[in-house]
Amino acid sequence: MSETLSGTTHEVSATVMDLPRRDARDKLRGRTRYTVDRVRPDMLHAVLLRSGVPAGRIVRLDVEAARHASGVRAIATGQDAPGLYGIGIADHPLLAIDTIRYHGEPIVAIAAETETEARAALALVELEIEPLAPVLTMGEALAKDARLVHDGWRDYEVLTEGGAREGNIAWEARTTRGDVDAAFARPDVKIVETTIRVGRQSHVPFEPRTAIGSWENGRAHIETSTQVPWTVRNVTGRVLQLPPGRVRVTVPPVGGGFGLKFDATIEPITALLARITGRTVVIENTRQEEMATCLCRENAEILIRSAVTADGEIAGREAVVLMDCGAYGGEQIFLSTMTAHTLGGNYRVGAMRLVSRAVYTNTPPNGAFRACNGVYNTFALERHTDEICQALGLDPLAFRKKNVLGDGDLGATGQVFEGNVLRPMLERMDALRAVTGTVEDKADGRLYGRATTVGTWFVFVGPSAATINMNADGSATLVTSGVEIGSGTMMQSLPQIVAGQLGLTPDQVVVREADTDSAGLDVGVGGGRTTVSIGAASIGAAEELRNKLFGFASELLQTRPEDLELVGGRVAIKGRPGSGIAVSAVVQHAQSVSGPVTGTGSFTGKPVPFMSGCAFGHMIEALEIPVFVVHEAEVAVDPDTGHVEVLAYRVVQDVGRALNRRAIMGQIQGGVVQGLGYALHEAVTIAPDGRIREDGFETYRVPLAGDVVPVVADLYEGAPSSGPLGTKGAGEVPILGVAAAIGCAVANATGKLVRELPLTPPRVLSLLKGRERAPEFPHIAASFEANTLA
Amino acid sequence: MTVTFQLNGERCRFHEDPMTPLLDVLRREKFLTGAKAVCREGFCGACTVHVDGEPMMSCLKPVGLVSGCSVTTIEGLSSGDQALHPLQAAFEAADVVQCGMCFPGMVMSLSAFVRDNPEATRPQIKTAMAGNICRCTGYERIIDAVADYLAVQKAGSQAKEAAHV
Amino acid sequence: MDMQDGPERIFESAATVAEAVAARASGAAVLAGGTWTMRDPRRGVTLPERIVALSKIAELQSIEVFDDRISIGASVTHSLLAGAVSEIVGLEGLAAAATGAANPAIRRVATVGGNLCATEFAAADLVPALLALDAEVELALADGPRLLPLSEFLKARAALLKTALLTRVIVRRDVIASAHIRLPLRKAGDYPVAIVSVARSSDGTVRVAVGSVEPVARRWTALEAALGGKVATAEEAQALAEKTNDFIGRDGIETEGWYRREVLPALVRRAFAALRKGGAA
Ligand SMILES: Cc1cc2nc3c(=O)[nH]c(=O)nc-3n(C[C@H](O)[C@H](O)[C@H](O)COP(=O)(O)OP(=O)(O)OC[C@H]3O[C@@H](n4cnc5c(N)ncnc54)[C@H](O)[C@@H]3O)c2cc1C
Ligand code: FES
Ligand code: FES
Repeated sequence: MSETLSGTTHEVSATVMDLPRRDARDKLRGRTRYTVDRVRPDMLHAVLLRSGVPAGRIVRLDVEAARHASGVRAIATGQDAPGLYGIGIADHPLLAIDTIRYHGEPIVAIAAETETEARAALALVELEIEPLAPVLTMGEALAKDARLVHDGWRDYEVLTEGGAREGNIAWEARTTRGDVDAAFARPDVKIVETTIRVGRQSHVPFEPRTAIGSWENGRAHIETSTQVPWTVRNVTGRVLQLPPGRVRVTVPPVGGGFGLKFDATIEPITALLARITGRTVVIENTRQEEMATCLCRENAEILIRSAVTADGEIAGREAVVLMDCGAYGGEQIFLSTMTAHTLGGNYRVGAMRLVSRAVYTNTPPNGAFRACNGVYNTFALERHTDEICQALGLDPLAFRKKNVLGDGDLGATGQVFEGNVLRPMLERMDALRAVTGTVEDKADGRLYGRATTVGTWFVFVGPSAATINMNADGSATLVTSGVEIGSGTMMQSLPQIVAGQLGLTPDQVVVREADTDSAGLDVGVGGGRTTVSIGAASIGAAEELRNKLFGFASELLQTRPEDLELVGGRVAIKGRPGSGIAVSAVVQHAQSVSGPVTGTGSFTGKPVPFMSGCAFGHMIEALEIPVFVVHEAEVAVDPDTGHVEVLAYRVVQDVGRALNRRAIMGQIQGGVVQGLGYALHEAVTIAPDGRIREDGFETYRVPLAGDVVPVVADLYEGAPSSGPLGTKGAGEVPILGVAAAIGCAVANATGKLVRELPLTPPRVLSLLKGRERAPEFPHIAASFEANTLA
Repeated sequence: MTVTFQLNGERCRFHEDPMTPLLDVLRREKFLTGAKAVCREGFCGACTVHVDGEPMMSCLKPVGLVSGCSVTTIEGLSSGDQALHPLQAAFEAADVVQCGMCFPGMVMSLSAFVRDNPEATRPQIKTAMAGNICRCTGYERIIDAVADYLAVQKAGSQAKEAAHV
Repeated sequence: MDMQDGPERIFESAATVAEAVAARASGAAVLAGGTWTMRDPRRGVTLPERIVALSKIAELQSIEVFDDRISIGASVTHSLLAGAVSEIVGLEGLAAAATGAANPAIRRVATVGGNLCATEFAAADLVPALLALDAEVELALADGPRLLPLSEFLKARAALLKTALLTRVIVRRDVIASAHIRLPLRKAGDYPVAIVSVARSSDGTVRVAVGSVEPVARRWTALEAALGGKVATAEEAQALAEKTNDFIGRDGIETEGWYRREVLPALVRRAFAALRKGGAA
């Protein structure tokens, strides 16, 4: 397998190209039909009655009057969907049952002939909620005697074993490697401590979450804007208490996801209402609902402490990371795992212990967002690193070159890293800077700062399946559960990979839209995994096909299969392009003698060794494919107003192998700009009534064209990767290092400790005026052990 | 009240509430779903159409105000199997599209901009894009494509002029 | 959000100011570009049931430039205004306000009248720009036209607009330089969180107006008095602004009040620096 995965030179050269996107033309002409564009007049429209309080008990719910309102066809409440779902822990009802846990939580769904009628009927629902004192912050949630957000937490079904949990701590993941106490007690170390607080980030995909459910031959069919068709299928089955096989999910082109669409939300409701009415039902989140119930990148609070010697050796490190999961555990339970690899990444550390806790609050649930967890842990780690350098009088770049993870170094869970990657990448950044020059002159009297930071991320490998059908015209149809969310993976990388394997041109590879009825299990598009996992499954399928084609062709050509290759649409004799026979002829022959030719492949990640006894409550103990980045920012800070202008931005990104450089550059530009939004502009705040205050484009400020700069990037190839042809995911990681680079650059410009995000002008101005205080966390105990349930 | 206007060259009548956003008439009545409803508040530009040749946000345009006007949507810019508008072709060639949701609006907005500002500089292009948000691409490659398009147009027209001398 | 429900809305397009005034008398709300009104439902306000659109009234759409004044019709859009005044010496601030607000597609539609008559809109750009120019507004009422200073209009706006139609804005041409400094949170533009507009007349008077900091824009009379008609440098103006900062910033989702207030002196400095360069920022 490793032969195939790393690829022969021929396969690689046949695969690497700056292929334009096949979906671009229709998208540019407005012809692409996203799920939101598929609403037909004969569909029912469903709307949700959402809670207007953050916490309470439903004491009365009467939908009779609403049921009789004009145009109403069905009403569903929590009683109609009794199953609970979740990641790790099944704690989440589809519609609130008895208890309200966040402002915006859906309680009743009404389907009517028109949206207006459905909304009018909402007003007729008689709902009485006895409010409870909300637990709005992690501080409140962890306080002694705090009210429990889930008082029945003990009774929940545990879907993944291993995490410690108790009360408002939905999940705890912990690692310990080496004797940290001894490291901190060494006489030759200085101890540096940093506290960090970051807010939420809202994805703002241009297509809001939208789902269209129908009930066909006793099964649900959901057409939806999702990244995870299989999760939607399984969650729908769970909450409706149906075998998941009775749910079919198909996915039209998705108008942006960024992780928001990595969970099921409204989809099962459409299936439920379709089952009741026998009609097709659409739910389209309004932009306000989309923002108010966005499964945001979580807010987090971090304390990190290191013991470092005078010459800059990191003897010991410990950290507590609190991640707000909001009202339900969701992704944060899984993501608590990532602290070990992000906060515990980047540097060689003698002994280390880390705990990350997903904490329940009465706020809208958080979720996954591009380079989840990594973005703020990298910010925290890189700011901490600069604070260490400041405390010890060391040069931050030299410190990084000396301490970054290299060949044979240990990660937080005892995983052994392979190859020297980060250090040469730092050197490549020096080289890149030498080419571009720096732009201090552009600061024009403002405070200027520059910073270079590093980051560790990974490819979320996991199950994927692929089938390739060879067609009589010599083309191939690739059937997977992969979804095109905009990154181009399904439109560019996969056709390139399959074409390279089969000696076709990418336009001869037809890519089937995701349909859980036609393709096998897939954990979804996200985590930078599509090229790697679906790519590997596709290579497996192509391999099977190839063998079959060679078998038939060897009969026709009277040649041994080993002497054949697929090139230029022909089964040719090795080394003699143009020889042999057209693929179409072989396929036609095969069809007549033994039926159609298909190949299937499947893939999942392989376990990577780590030290036993290090990791508790982790869903991923070691990274199969680590990905590294080096980011560098130059900023100017306006001392009068606190505005931060990004003057220049440079990236060196570990891509394994670049199949389509242009497409990767596009992902880097887009990812960095989303990171700039997170670092500088995009604030989500919670009102005293538990509501997300930023509910539209006026108050939630994503970067505009005038806020950005062209990102200069150097793609670092050749780092070890078990991905197909040596690839790594390139779309997720560009956002990873942005907050870190910007935060450190702003600290360098202002001479102040930057410990919170986003760096909006008011925050930076108060920083400059010395009014920003380092975040203090009374709910994080001084001793590490007191912060764990162990 | 009935509102009558030209929609992609054909007469269009709308008999309901004149305060209905033009965007909803397009998407929900005419099934022209190229214009997208993203913010519905005038910020993002995904709903941009041309009203009498000028790009405007259709989400904030009460249909009553387009009475007697001529409305062109993305579907009308290059319809059927007509060639792409050259700016669309430039975007396609430069591989700038990602999820694509913003592009119908981007194209409607920038096609008018390049028509009216053949000499535009890069900063001017950026300023012109203040009302066209893209969440995916980070903008710069779109800007590159517009700048390249203008340069090519300019070179073309200079060549033509030179040929006439 | 479908269209068939609800009482039939009355929507008329007035052809003349008189028709519009008559419609107002019978309870119709004014619709200009609609960029503010169409967002009413987002603010929890239902759209008016009777509407009179101004878009067909030709006389409201012109800008007339006289030797001593210019007259700006209420239906003039931001982009038309920017085009018309950008070459006029002294009106640099107004041009900057008209080109800096919103985004191009909105500027093509949003009108001067709409900007001045959106009573709940604290961040309006044209309001402080016109206050600094000491503009007057002309209203059409059932009993005839009425001319009043913009500052008076702002005070009585909510009451006046129950029946009045704003028809024109009149700006005297005794201003020799003006500047409009708006501070959005994003560099690329937003609603400004604070605005300082300044104008210097030929007689040396300097007027300063501040927008977006308080619920309604107003002149900074304390600073004007401290300046006392002297020609101040940008730094001197800033120092005086520090001393006379009597603004109470409004809290909003985008920022707290202290920020709006505290950036004012720096914006004053920038405005005065622009003024010295003959306006424009
Ligand atoms: C995305 C976006 C960004 C924006 N950014 C800015 C910005 O940066 N700076 C800024 O200043 N503004 C900004 N605005 C607000 C915009 O300027 C105002 O919405 C606009 O000026 C209103 O003009 P209109 O013609 O569209 O008004 P309309 O919506 O038609 O009317 C607004 C109000 O004024 C009343 N009215 C209008 N004309 C008259 C009249 N002649 N007589 C009596 N009453 C009248 C109406 O009844 C209504 O109450 C922005 C708006 C949007 C949508
Ligand atoms: S949808 Fe109209 S501007 Fe955003
Ligand atoms: S390409 Fe997705 S919003 Fe622009």
